[in-house]
Amino acid sequence: MGRRVKLKLGSRIAYVDLVHEVAEDLARDAHFSKSDALNIGLAVREAVINAIKHGNAMDETKSVEIEFEENEKSFRVRVRDQGPGFDWEQTADPREERNMFRSSGRGIFFMKHFVDRVAFLRRRGRGTEVILEKRLQPAGRQGRGGAMKRRKG
Amino acid sequence: MKANARHHGKVTVVDLSGKITIGEGDIKLRDAVNALLDEGRKNIILNLSGVSYMDSAGIGELVACYKRAAEKGATLKLLNPSGKVQDLLILTRLQEIFDIFRDEREALASF
Ligand SMILES: Nc1ncnc2c1ncn2[C@@H]1O[C@H](COP(=O)(O)OP(=O)(O)OP(=O)(O)O)[C@@H](O)[C@H]1O
Ligand SMILES: [Mg+2]
Repeated sequence: MGRRVKLKLGSRIAYVDLVHEVAEDLARDAHFSKSDALNIGLAVREAVINAIKHGNAMDETKSVEIEFEENEKSFRVRVRDQGPGFDWEQTADPREERNMFRSSGRGIFFMKHFVDRVAFLRRRGRGTEVILEKRLQPAGRQGRGGAMKRRKG
Repeated sequence: MKANARHHGKVTVVDLSGKITIGEGDIKLRDAVNALLDEGRKNIILNLSGVSYMDSAGIGELVACYKRAAEKGATLKLLNPSGKVQDLLILTRLQEIFDIFRDEREALASF
């Protein structure tokens, strides 16, 4: 059945690649296509960068927790920081004319594009949690083929 | 990420490969473009064919490079973005800002 993997890391940008790689590998194990697994990795990457940069304000002593949870229907990732939180209803659309030339402000937009659901939770006095969720397509030919290949290998 | 510059007369092609992401690729991209701008190069093509993907920091740096080039009277154009990078350029509408080419000769001749 479901599998759960949890990581707890200090707030260092150097760890972002590692988390991305773990996310992509676990998504492949959960039978997502290469391209969907990359999208999951990219969404997790953005959430982790934000947790480190904005949530924990680059304070290496503050931790980021990443929890991967897989079941037969979906792949869910929770990214928690120890920051003050923010107003996630107020994020600007980077595609608007006045934002297109900005060199930041695209991370949350990317997350929303790469996975099916992005939700934010404020954990009373304990920081922010971002939930990313991607649904597995119903067991079609592609999914079963992937599973077989893995069993053989 | 690797960046190698080739000069073709007044045009410089920078071959980029790997991923342009936070903390490494974005910095190398900035340094490569800044070095060319400091040398007074005015016509720059970023060859993206070897770039597998970018994150928000990489895309942000690409926009920053575009702006810095414009401030110095230089032009930055893009060559051959791969599937994922192309998707991101479309998604962010940056393909409306940049001149993007499929063919290097055409890109070179466009200046
Ligand atoms: N975990 C977080 N804690 C606190 N604030 C956050 C968090 N995540 C995002 N934010 C706020 O939301 C804003 C938008 O985030 P988003 O990732 O879209 O853009 P960015 O991080 O500013 O730039 P980019 O991701 O393009 O490099 C941030 O600038 C920050 O103010
Ligand atoms: Mg961000």
